Amino acid sequence: MAIVSVEDVTRVYTLGKSEVHALRGVSLEVQEGEFLSVAGPSGSGKTTLLNLIGCVDTPTTGRVVVGGDDTTRLSERALTELRLHRIGFIFQTFNLVPVLTVFQNVEFPLLLQGGHGSKERRARVNALLEATGLSEHARHRPSELSGGQRQRVAVARALVTRPALVLADEPTANLDSQTGANIIDLMREMNRRDGTTFVFSTHDAKVMAHANAIVRIADGRVVGREELSQAAGGVS
Amino acid sequence: MTSPGTKWWQAGLVVRLGLRNLAASRAKTLIIGGIILLGAALVVVGSSLLESVDRGMRSSIQGSLGGHLQVYDARSKDELALYGGMMGEPQLEPIEDFSKVKAALVNVPNVAKVVPMGIDQAMVSIGNQFDVALERLRADVRVRPAGGADPAIERRYQARKAHLRRMVGILRDDLAQARQIADLQGRDAAERRRAWEDLGRASSPEFWDHFDDDPLAGLEFLENRVAPQALDGGFTFVRYVGTDLDAFFRAFDRVQVVEGTRVPPGQRGILLGKWYAEEWLKLRAAHKLDQIERARRVQRRRLDRDEELARWARDAAGQTREIQLQLDPIAAEDAASRLARALGVTGPGERDLPKLLAQLFAVNEANFDRHYRIFYDTLAPLLQLYSIRVGDTITIQAPNKTGYMSSVNVKVYGFIQFRGLEQSGLAGVMSLMDLISFRALYGYPTAERTREIRELQAAAGVRDVSREEAEAALFGSADGAVSEQREAPIDDAQVLAGVRRPREREELSDRPFTQEETDRGVVLNAAILLKDPSKLARTARDVDAAAKAAGLNLEVVDWQKASGLIGQSVTLFRIVLYTAVLIVFLVALVIINNAMVMATLQRVKEIGTMRAIGAQRRFVLAMLLVESVTAGVVFGAIGAAVGACAVWLLRRAGGIPATNDQLYFFFSGPALLPRLGTTSLAVSLAIVVVVGVLSGLYPALLAMRVTPVEAMAAEE
Repeated sequence: MAIVSVEDVTRVYTLGKSEVHALRGVSLEVQEGEFLSVAGPSGSGKTTLLNLIGCVDTPTTGRVVVGGDDTTRLSERALTELRLHRIGFIFQTFNLVPVLTVFQNVEFPLLLQGGHGSKERRARVNALLEATGLSEHARHRPSELSGGQRQRVAVARALVTRPALVLADEPTANLDSQTGANIIDLMREMNRRDGTTFVFSTHDAKVMAHANAIVRIADGRVVGREELSQAAGGVS
Repeated sequence: MTSPGTKWWQAGLVVRLGLRNLAASRAKTLIIGGIILLGAALVVVGSSLLESVDRGMRSSIQGSLGGHLQVYDARSKDELALYGGMMGEPQLEPIEDFSKVKAALVNVPNVAKVVPMGIDQAMVSIGNQFDVALERLRADVRVRPAGGADPAIERRYQARKAHLRRMVGILRDDLAQARQIADLQGRDAAERRRAWEDLGRASSPEFWDHFDDDPLAGLEFLENRVAPQALDGGFTFVRYVGTDLDAFFRAFDRVQVVEGTRVPPGQRGILLGKWYAEEWLKLRAAHKLDQIERARRVQRRRLDRDEELARWARDAAGQTREIQLQLDPIAAEDAASRLARALGVTGPGERDLPKLLAQLFAVNEANFDRHYRIFYDTLAPLLQLYSIRVGDTITIQAPNKTGYMSSVNVKVYGFIQFRGLEQSGLAGVMSLMDLISFRALYGYPTAERTREIRELQAAAGVRDVSREEAEAALFGSADGAVSEQREAPIDDAQVLAGVRRPREREELSDRPFTQEETDRGVVLNAAILLKDPSKLARTARDVDAAAKAAGLNLEVVDWQKASGLIGQSVTLFRIVLYTAVLIVFLVALVIINNAMVMATLQRVKEIGTMRAIGAQRRFVLAMLLVESVTAGVVFGAIGAAVGACAVWLLRRAGGIPATNDQLYFFFSGPALLPRLGTTSLAVSLAIVVVVGVLSGLYPALLAMRVTPVEAMAAEE
């Protein structure tokens, strides 16, 4: 079953007097439980596509359906609610809240959601910190962590609300290759464990190799989709 | 999706984030906080000062003249202005019968006292040295037995005669200079020529050689033909309130008699303002010294650095002729030897009074205190420092309602001041006079008074301003006169006995009057004192209603309005202060706004991230507002505390000194002791919170518009 359905989407940005065609008619389906990589060179439209899937942006034409909801018909408020409850985000630059500790950063989406008791929140956060190997750093501020550790915090934060879909835009771009690999492994593990759907963009071939499918984009168009065997993406 | 608990959790999160952000960006917080702190401190100090001035003014006006309410005739052309208006005294319609007003108002609940008043200005003759000398000589003539049996009296008589002769000489020299520029061909040329001839005759040796043949005729000639030509002395203006003096003293507890006594009940009399006496009746040289002394003491000004003080010192030095004229030859001798001793002068200069005076008045920063003391310890006891003294009867003249000059003689019973307002010209210039005399001057006399005035007018033409002690002196070139007169003893008691002759006018002004006479007659306004001043507005309405019910057409105003421009100046201060505060906070608003916008722009990514992971716009808005409001409240409270401390310290340090007359009145005393007002605290905190919210609002709105896409931006 498709958790995300992108139907003939274009996205045009107006920069001053010129128009930038970031996407020129993209159609794509993401199946539940997939670990999908969106690949392509810089400026190919990867980030734009992820923004549309993540409901932080809406298409100029076409439709994006996330979990059965047509995002083009939702209000700004409803889109925010949708993001809060169904989507997790991992950013290229980690984007942690600098004034909050690791624990508080992970807890943050739960507080935004509300309705979780402090016990439940603590249990969920601690479980994720354990899973991401950050238990010892729970009281640290992001500035006290390495890049890889920060991205682990981001992974934990993306997963804490138990979203159906996690989007990661170039999650390894700011990390060295070994750390990047570790992060991808972590994401893959979570994908396997909970069946959470992951969509991540990258232009790094080694990172792509971990995915079970690669959607290739160039010049705002999907130029191909390859299915990879599960074994090939396995963690060694 | 949104449970009731959501908001609670979010509120906690918002506050936590806001506080953490404040703590995280310390520099920004400190800049914004510093500005808010300063602003709050300014508001607290400023409004505390303002409240204190307001209180001081209230106390000054209510305690000196205003009471709580004032009534005056509603048909008046001008508004009541107790301390004078821009164009002199306001034109008020007279209230013809005060007793009706009193009867109507005294029964209004909360009205404690109704004090009748009439405020006006008039001229007072302060006489001149020539008149004084003539009067002395006339007294001597009267006690001098024919043939000059008593050598002591004879010597004194001769000394005074010589003194007067010298004065005539000085007058002739003065007028000779005036003739150079006078128009001798004009309308009154004949009169002028005659006057000059009279003066010539009076200064001729023949006149004085034959003076003893008929001294009374000689005096008559000098009084009628020569004395009017003397230029010094003359008139000063006195501002007075004609009132029921006993009621006034009961109603205004600030008024106190500093010298002399109160006017006995039922007697006519005037109590002169002490400040007025200092300012206008005091020997000019002494007054200048006082001014310098006060400026140095209160304002910490210095003679060597302050051009104005130096000018006052020169003025004082230029007024010593007045002192010399006042001292008779014997007193002058005494003064010279005392001064020489005090100043440490020996040798040929020790008898030269003009030189000694010049030396005394050559004051500088180093010697001022010593010379000031010498003046008051050594010289002042020999001088008549004030041209009007307790016990004198003075002639007051004013144009009355019919356009003629009214003139009354009133006895000076004493000098008054208003406690706490001793140095204030506004209050201190005021003299108190009985209502009967006021009415005579005002020109609404009773039938009885009309008869008295006729008698007064009949008696007019005889000047009898008494001068018991002041004796004109002659110095400088008149060496012969000095040596001749030095040993002449003066028996003051005998002199006084001679002056104190029974006078018809004094009898008239001594005739007692009744309370009914005081009440039934013209007044211009009336002060109303309340039992409970806090119910002022309501009582004002009641008074208005009571006046209307009694058929009286009265205007009722509160003390502030009644005080005219003075009362409005507090309002002016308030406007100035609030404008200043407004400007400060507008500037603060801009600066804070700017800093917050900058800070917000730096946090676009963070905010975008929050938005991306599911924070609603209002969450972002609330987070930023919490930041600015918290900064506003915390630093505002600290600022208010700092301001309160400043007020407290100012108070402990003795307050702000009143460095001039006006401030003295506004402060209601020699210094403004600011007191922290609850109003000022509340106002400052309210303003600070409003400024905090307003300055944070724009950046918060800006932050609210940050899109989640911003979170995706690749650059760090």
